[in-house]
Amino acid sequence: MQSEYIIEMLGIRKEFPGIVANDNITLQLRKGEIHALLGENGAGKSTLMSVLFGLYQPEAGEIRKNGQVVKINNPNDATALNIGMVHQHFKLVDVFTVLENIVLGAEDTKYGFLQKKQARAKVQALSEKYGLHVDLDAKVEDISVGMQQRTEILKMLYRDNEILIFDEPTAVLTPQEIDELMQIMKGFAKEGKSILFITHKLNEIMAVADRCTVLRKGRYIGTVDIKDTNKQELSNMMVGRPVQLQVQKQDKVPGDTVLAVRGLTVPSKTSKKDAVKNVSFDVRSGEIVCIAGIDGNGQTELVYGITGLEKSSKGSLTLCGKDISKASIHQRSATGMSHIPEDRHKHGLVLDDSLENNIVLQKYKDARFQKMGFVKKDAVREYAQSIIGQYDVRSGQGAITTARSMSGGNQQKAIIGREIDRENPLLIAVQPTRGLDVGAIEYIHSQLVAQRDAGKAVLLVSLELDEVMNLSDRILVMYEGEIVGQLDPKKTTLQELGLYMAGAKRDGEGEMDK
Amino acid sequence: MRKLIEKDGTQKLLASLLSIVMGLLVGAIVVAIVGLGKSNIGVKGVWDGVRLLLAGIFSTGRNTAGALTWGYNPQNLGNMLFRATPLIMTGLSVAVAFKTGLFNIGAPGQYLMGTMATLMIALSVPAGTMPGWLLWLLAFLGGMLAGALWGAIPGLLKAFCNINEVLACIMTNWLAANIVTWAFDVSNFKNIVEGTKTGYVYKTTYGLTMVDGEWTYVLGNGIATPKMGLDKIFPGSQVNGGILIAIALAVLVYILLNKTTLGYELKACGSNRHAARYAGIHDKRNLVLSMAISGALAAAGASLYWLSGNTEFFWSTYQALPAAGFNGIPVALLAVNNPLGVIFTGIFMAMLNIVGQNLTGFTAYNEYITDVIISVIVYLSAFSLVVRMWLSGRKKKAEAPAAKRETEKGGQQA
Repeated sequence: MQSEYIIEMLGIRKEFPGIVANDNITLQLRKGEIHALLGENGAGKSTLMSVLFGLYQPEAGEIRKNGQVVKINNPNDATALNIGMVHQHFKLVDVFTVLENIVLGAEDTKYGFLQKKQARAKVQALSEKYGLHVDLDAKVEDISVGMQQRTEILKMLYRDNEILIFDEPTAVLTPQEIDELMQIMKGFAKEGKSILFITHKLNEIMAVADRCTVLRKGRYIGTVDIKDTNKQELSNMMVGRPVQLQVQKQDKVPGDTVLAVRGLTVPSKTSKKDAVKNVSFDVRSGEIVCIAGIDGNGQTELVYGITGLEKSSKGSLTLCGKDISKASIHQRSATGMSHIPEDRHKHGLVLDDSLENNIVLQKYKDARFQKMGFVKKDAVREYAQSIIGQYDVRSGQGAITTARSMSGGNQQKAIIGREIDRENPLLIAVQPTRGLDVGAIEYIHSQLVAQRDAGKAVLLVSLELDEVMNLSDRILVMYEGEIVGQLDPKKTTLQELGLYMAGAKRDGEGEMDK
Repeated sequence: MRKLIEKDGTQKLLASLLSIVMGLLVGAIVVAIVGLGKSNIGVKGVWDGVRLLLAGIFSTGRNTAGALTWGYNPQNLGNMLFRATPLIMTGLSVAVAFKTGLFNIGAPGQYLMGTMATLMIALSVPAGTMPGWLLWLLAFLGGMLAGALWGAIPGLLKAFCNINEVLACIMTNWLAANIVTWAFDVSNFKNIVEGTKTGYVYKTTYGLTMVDGEWTYVLGNGIATPKMGLDKIFPGSQVNGGILIAIALAVLVYILLNKTTLGYELKACGSNRHAARYAGIHDKRNLVLSMAISGALAAAGASLYWLSGNTEFFWSTYQALPAAGFNGIPVALLAVNNPLGVIFTGIFMAMLNIVGQNLTGFTAYNEYITDVIISVIVYLSAFSLVVRMWLSGRKKKAEAPAAKRETEKGGQQA
């Protein structure tokens, strides 16, 4: 008998030490539908998919394909059942070409030799059919993230997979690439392929999905038809309480200048041109100044220049009345600078160290935490626990949890707690909500507004237009290393902001000086 | 009790012990296979070989009837501790580097530089110009300093030119081997007085003395590490206070890494250099410092070994690097890079050395096959990580049914 569902996961339970990642979860995928799997970070989405893909064995529950119970012991079993997955972090061999990556593990051979011609023909046909443009002979390390993702998708198609899993596919893409991907996914569904789309972005679900299954804290909350629901309802299901999608903030008159940047120029690491060119602006206490712009227009280097991670070649920086142009990272930080870094894995955390050691990353030398060069473990533990409690950082084993094992949202909360608690007059937050879910974003936004209301100067760098418009008191738009415009979020529109970001419009020289 | 078993530390210890047992058992099997395949050994020889392998440290030789005799053997035990001294130090050297995210395969070179500095200082000061203990201290610290500087070179190259430390360490090893050979070749420290011994440097027990208007080395006028009473406990052995110094240094390293802010910095830089930099820690300085500390520890092993006064340095090292340097790697791995664990694994490695000697001495197994057997044991001993994974896998399986029962209970309540 033919089942209505191509894949069913019934009553799945998976545990890890100290945590139940999946508790009695049911997921039913119909043939030819786009089925979204929605949940916050740590809700158990990735675990569930790893179970389906054979990377983990569930402690309870069963998986059925077309109504037949199947056992998936490893990814090869999953492939045999025509299940394919594009992982959030791509699994490609950097030094191989796109074609080599696509055929890897499913090579056609004749007398032990690779049959590249046949493979190439098949991949080219697929690529044309679905509009997946790739350069088959380019090495993966040389191509864009978008093309890497298309390579991953072609890998699934090359193996004739019918069930396609996309794990957070849009996290790394530009808005245009996201639109493209959505079209491609719809094309697959029309072809009769079934798609599981893991995400926490509500807009995307509303745009492409037919149905949506919601998980929360490892539990199954429900499955809804997209046409019968809306964003607010989905986000409430995901977070478990009504969520503010809009940021609440009162008007506030800014105070004294905290950070003054004058003519800052930062050389580029990759080219001979300067990444930041002669940039000047102020950040005053009690305001959130947002640097907006398309990724790669010098925002990262600007922050590096201000925090000291990169040396500036020209210009001056004044923090709280002190010249810090030549100061070390440590001196700048001690003068009054907190920094929520863009890359929490690279700069924000020592991933293999414990949560408590990460929380005192800048403070371990304070008299509070050391005596004659010896760390006061009890004081560190006590302080870490207060931060964990105050900022609701959730982890398997509390203060001694390894940072690596925590979910992205909780890692970010730990960093934010650490930086805010240093009570510095200036808080620099670089893409603080990148890759986070609605609940965590709401929390982080409210924390940033609270800092502003407490009279701190907040410098926010963001690529998310909603965040820029909702959160900031003043917008500075960066384009090719320069600040091309200063906008008031209340008086501007998304369209106008977009023109500045694309370099199509810029303020005159006179306006820049106010 | 259960808590103690589940503790991470206990797991590590258990894993190391199990892998040692595994190594010894497989070693015994190799002994059996080799022995049964050779006509001059036979079943009785194998039985002797296996017993010597497992308990060789308590062997007292053979009696007149030709049977192996057993008992407390102070000479074996003392020599074991003596040989453990440099192994503990090079093990510490490798462990410190590992803990700070670096692979110090340069311990042999650092050991050689320590050897050179220590011997040259000890032999170049005329006897009587300063108290013996002061000269000993100078030679010891000088050795450590030389090792620290030598270790700092790969550190500097990594910090400022981003050159992989493994590569730089291998290069500096051979540089050290050639520099040391050259330096002794052109020096006056060669012991050419004692006939055929042209390849050796004077022991530190020789002191530079003016005899008949000429500077000559006189046995007994030099320096040696004090015995600190250990010769009373282990009579007839080479043991001296060096082992106590090595143990003290291991404890110091443990405190440095786990209790101090410097250790915190070093470890932070080791596991994520970028994050350390972001936090305002001098990542480059700490990287160089890690390698310097590492180098100083390896060199201290050399200093303690040569200052014992029992040992003569064969200075022509340009073709061979000292095994004590490389053996630091298994010593550290077996101890899961725990400085306190290194004390025990260093002693274990030295015990294997003594066992090998007894196996060669008291049975028909020749020294080469003994080396193979010992290597097999060391190799398997380093499997502690695999054993640990196996242990924690078992633990999880044991927990799963318990958790299931709990949820069922919870379900009934709901």
